[in-house]
Amino acid sequence: MYETLIPLIPLLPVLGFAFTALFGRRLQAKGGRTAAEIVPVGIVIVVWVIAMMVVVPALTHAEPFGEKGLGVKLWTWIPAGDFSVDLGFHVDALTAALLIVVTTIGMLVHIYSIGYMAHDPGAWRFFAYLNLFMFSMLVLVLADNWVLVFAGWELVGLSSYSLIGFWYPKRSAALAAKKAFIVNRVGDVGFALGIMAIWVNTGTLNIAESLSRLIEMPAAELTIPLVVVALLVFCGAMGKSAQFPLHVWLPDAMEGPTPVSALIHAATMVNAGVYLVARANPLFAHAQEAMVVVAAIGIFTAILAASIAFTQTDIKRVLAYSTLSQLGYMFAALGVGAYVAAIFHLMTHGFFKGLLFLGSGSVIHAVDGEQDMNRMGGLWRKIPITHWTMLIGTIAIAGIPPLAGFFSKDEILGEAFKFGFYWVWGIGLVVAAMTAFYMWRLMGKTFYGESRVDPHVEPKIHESPWTMTLPLILLAIPAALLGIALGTPLGASTLKGWLEPVFIESEEYLYGTPATYELFGIDGYLILASVAVAALGLVLGIWLFGAFRRRGRPALVQRLTNANGATRFLYRASLNKWWFDELNDLLFIRVGGRVAASLWWFDRTIVDGAVNGVGTLTRGAGGGLRQIQTGRVQNYALGIAIGLIVMAGSFLLIVGQPR
Amino acid sequence: MLSVLDNISLSLDAYLVLAGLLFAIGSFGFLARRNAISMLMSIELMLNAVNLSIIAFGAFTISLRESASVIALIVIAAAAAEATVGLAIVIAIYRNRKTPLVDEYDAMRQ
Repeated sequence: MYETLIPLIPLLPVLGFAFTALFGRRLQAKGGRTAAEIVPVGIVIVVWVIAMMVVVPALTHAEPFGEKGLGVKLWTWIPAGDFSVDLGFHVDALTAALLIVVTTIGMLVHIYSIGYMAHDPGAWRFFAYLNLFMFSMLVLVLADNWVLVFAGWELVGLSSYSLIGFWYPKRSAALAAKKAFIVNRVGDVGFALGIMAIWVNTGTLNIAESLSRLIEMPAAELTIPLVVVALLVFCGAMGKSAQFPLHVWLPDAMEGPTPVSALIHAATMVNAGVYLVARANPLFAHAQEAMVVVAAIGIFTAILAASIAFTQTDIKRVLAYSTLSQLGYMFAALGVGAYVAAIFHLMTHGFFKGLLFLGSGSVIHAVDGEQDMNRMGGLWRKIPITHWTMLIGTIAIAGIPPLAGFFSKDEILGEAFKFGFYWVWGIGLVVAAMTAFYMWRLMGKTFYGESRVDPHVEPKIHESPWTMTLPLILLAIPAALLGIALGTPLGASTLKGWLEPVFIESEEYLYGTPATYELFGIDGYLILASVAVAALGLVLGIWLFGAFRRRGRPALVQRLTNANGATRFLYRASLNKWWFDELNDLLFIRVGGRVAASLWWFDRTIVDGAVNGVGTLTRGAGGGLRQIQTGRVQNYALGIAIGLIVMAGSFLLIVGQPR
Repeated sequence: MLSVLDNISLSLDAYLVLAGLLFAIGSFGFLARRNAISMLMSIELMLNAVNLSIIAFGAFTISLRESASVIALIVIAAAAAEATVGLAIVIAIYRNRKTPLVDEYDAMRQ
């Protein structure tokens, strides 16, 4: 049965995409939006049901999945001598965990989009792209070989590009789409090289086989050292998951419709990098220098993005930087070897960040497309469902128990500490406080305090339709409870039991048998520390930006932003995103452009000049030589005669001297 | 028979000078005449000059006698074949271009 169900998971969305792309426009013109939306949304709901049927036995290691998972080989895709690539899927606990996030949030975002896109004439196109994205992402997580992963990898990039640029007449959207695509390509080159390196080393592209061969081979026999392979693969992960220095595309990607930001740029696609590194965990575990790089880049991105989120005023951009920061946490977790914690945070983050994004979309919808938080405020009574669900999401991401974010974040920080990465733990704590603070800043500026909404819009503020609020409520439940459901009992959580077979070998290789969990010892202190800093951040946020009826201190905030000296520098740095866009502009557009222009000059004058010179020379010589070909037989005969006379004469002169 | 042989020159040089003169006349005719027929005739002159010198060498050198006759016969046959083909070509071109002058055959020139 599962041999049929598993291929159906990616197959159905691609059929939905084909159908909607081919007939959507006509259906929408004749039968209205509902006619065009029923197929893509229906298909995603069916996919969710199928995925759940697969996920439950896969997570609990029931037959026929077992601990190693179940592989389904459809056919041999590329047979070429000893090299062959199968079109096959493999479902184990890690894939199942991703399937939960992708299909659940995907389904809710599809439903939400019905309401969100209700006024858009291009709704059919939007749903076609969404289905294409679902297909790509499902291929990416289900694939059992690197080539198929790469195909899915590129396909999600393509659908992300189409969806960021969905409102393509808007210049900023078109540019943002281009930026996302190009920055992603930079990482993808690394990933492609990594896949080639894996093949050069092992001769196979099957994920499980190649990984086990890589770690079994003695280091001397490897053509390309493991560290290089791991870093190349990580390069791809950096691009897709927007890690420093390839993080610049994600905030701009917020130009797309909000459901896209929620689905692709918060909950699913950006997790692909985390999934990739987790999938390749044996490779990274045996290349520990690469793991330190992963941890360092992760935690650096976390604090960098958190610092930028402090001052952004666009509600979606704050959430985008928050996503960067949380992804940084996940990479830090992967880098210290806390694989389960990383996947745990991936899941909880997918839900609460998806919720926050959809909530922000609902807010934007309510205030007539306004995204600037300086022109919101006091909305909590007017759009209560949005407010309460977003409040749950905010407390969850801040890491206050017993909501989801606390469990996963605490696990990351705790393991970083216990594995001896004190710097990751220290920075992580700071980031946790910063997260709580800037999230409350978002809440305070949006929902509390005085209304700064445009007076023309003020009377029209309305709660969103049920298709939008239902997904919010449905996402708020896992955002609140997923932590308790998967993360307890602390230290030997349900999720750990599920994911253990995927990671156990790497974990034991790295750290041996794990120490016992001491709730009333070291682990208890770590929990207290992380809850304390999160609460500190929240309290500071409430003190500055208010909550419910409590007023904030806008005057103090104003004074801080107008202060001089170091504060001013930090404020401006944060507001200008540490000038990374300007730096890229300088490095790649100006300097890179100069280099390219000079190379072009070299190519045009020197290389082309040499080639053209040879051509001109040959033509000139031919033109000259052509003159002696008169076409008159007598001229040739004269040539022959003179030649003969010269030859005979010289023969006589040299050889035939009289003795 | 012997009386004929008695009257011929006993010097090889005389034959070679005659052959050389014939060859020079043939070469000059080939290079200087514009008429295709004249050029073919000049070729025949040169061939016969060569033939004469071969025969002369054959007559004066005992070991070459038989070979020389055979070579001369082959040259005559080749000359006949060459003349046939050459004339056929000249006539074919003449029919097209209405002229026997070779410098007016310039269809292949740029």
